[in-house]
Amino acid sequence: MLARWVIPATALLLLAGCSAPPAPPAARELRPEEPTPAPTAVVDVPTTSAALGAVRQPVPPVRVQIPSSGVDVPIRPVGVEPDGKLELPEDIRVAGWYKYGSDPLSATGSTVIAAHLDSLPQGIGPFAALRDVTPGTEVVVTTADGAELRYAVESVQSILKSEVPLSDIFDRAGAPRVILVTCGGPWSDAMRNYTDNIIVVATPMA
Amino acid sequence: MRNKLIAGAAAGVIAAVGVAVPAQALSATTADLYVLHAVPDLPVDVYVNGDLTLDDFQPGDLAGPLDLPAGTYSVAITAATATDASAPAIGPIDLTLAAGTSYTAVAHLDAAGTPTATLFTNDLSTIPAGEGKLTVRHTAAAPAVDVLANGTPAFTNLVNPNEVKANLPVGTISASVAATGTTAPVIGPADVQIQEGVNTIVYAWGSLADNNLALAVQTISGLHSTPGGIPAGTGGLVSDQNDTLVGWGLAGLLALFAAAVLVALRRRPAAQSDR
Repeated sequence: MLARWVIPATALLLLAGCSAPPAPPAARELRPEEPTPAPTAVVDVPTTSAALGAVRQPVPPVRVQIPSSGVDVPIRPVGVEPDGKLELPEDIRVAGWYKYGSDPLSATGSTVIAAHLDSLPQGIGPFAALRDVTPGTEVVVTTADGAELRYAVESVQSILKSEVPLSDIFDRAGAPRVILVTCGGPWSDAMRNYTDNIIVVATPMA
Repeated sequence: MRNKLIAGAAAGVIAAVGVAVPAQALSATTADLYVLHAVPDLPVDVYVNGDLTLDDFQPGDLAGPLDLPAGTYSVAITAATATDASAPAIGPIDLTLAAGTSYTAVAHLDAAGTPTATLFTNDLSTIPAGEGKLTVRHTAAAPAVDVLANGTPAFTNLVNPNEVKANLPVGTISASVAATGTTAPVIGPADVQIQEGVNTIVYAWGSLADNNLALAVQTISGLHSTPGGIPAGTGGLVSDQNDTLVGWGLAGLLALFAAAVLVALRRRPAAQSDR
């Protein structure tokens, strides 16, 4: 296969050598003995080994604290319910971390931590404090490997659930952040739920 | 009230600021092209439309993505020692790329062991939450194979240069490749991670006769689904009753009362009529 391709090219070179007139001094004529410059690529394309290798494992957050508000809540990993909504721990004193999204050590994306605001049997939960948090407030997230990571609150918003930008909250490609979520706004008897989500965005402290 | 800003940054800005690295560069006018070198023992140069694009490309390496305007490209693959594209080992072949599509061009051995190239289209469809996609491509000089996951056949009778794929739950699979109808591995077993929202593309490559069969892997991320909501409160104990709502409530009650009084007043003369 290789030989079939090479022979015609070589034949062309020989023909050119026989029939070409003597070249003027300024022109360069390629001869087999002269080393030809190796060509250089026109673009720089990222190249990586495709060997099967280890895949980065997420580092789950295990605890979140807002010291100035007295919030200190353990976290466990959660997925989605059959209806596609975020699964949440039934115990309102435990928060859920969306395990399919980013974790606090991911290079990009939001670490989403949510907890129930309240429940009838259990009363009002610790995440009720989120609505009163102010910008600049320190949030501390402890990861499974024991590291304590510090964040500063950037914003606190109450948004109608139908208008919540879910793809921004569950973003995996943007700057790394922690997003704390619970419910808020007025209670809706028709929906049997609160009308809003309270969303606290916190960015890593330098 | 709606999108009420309690404190902090401008209302509505939840989108991350700073560099967001998109998973795919393709667009309405461009395609993504990856190139996988799956011919053993032959470092190569890859020319696209006559321009050297990949220099000294090693077997087992993956290049890309190249973001290219939709169109047809002539690709020639030469030995890395060649000085131009006049004597390619593979090609020149024409690859037609459509906009908004992701491709992997693979230089590989066909079933009989001859170097060739195949253009695969990568599935970028959204994957349900909690799942990842596994794609397996047969690009090895070997006959039909079965792909086993944890010892049992997941895909059967896969031939060069075809592919199979499926969405699977997140987790680790012990994967192996065996001649169709058998279970003795000719490649593996090797752990393959099914990652959430990722298309994990596994290539069987090399030559059975030369005893250098191997697996290569390419991952394409950003295909995940977003949860449909965060239902974080069921007690109704912390209802945010502000003045507006209370005001409407009172006004509503008054209106109802007034209407009831009006109806009562109007009905008195007609009290004898049948109903």
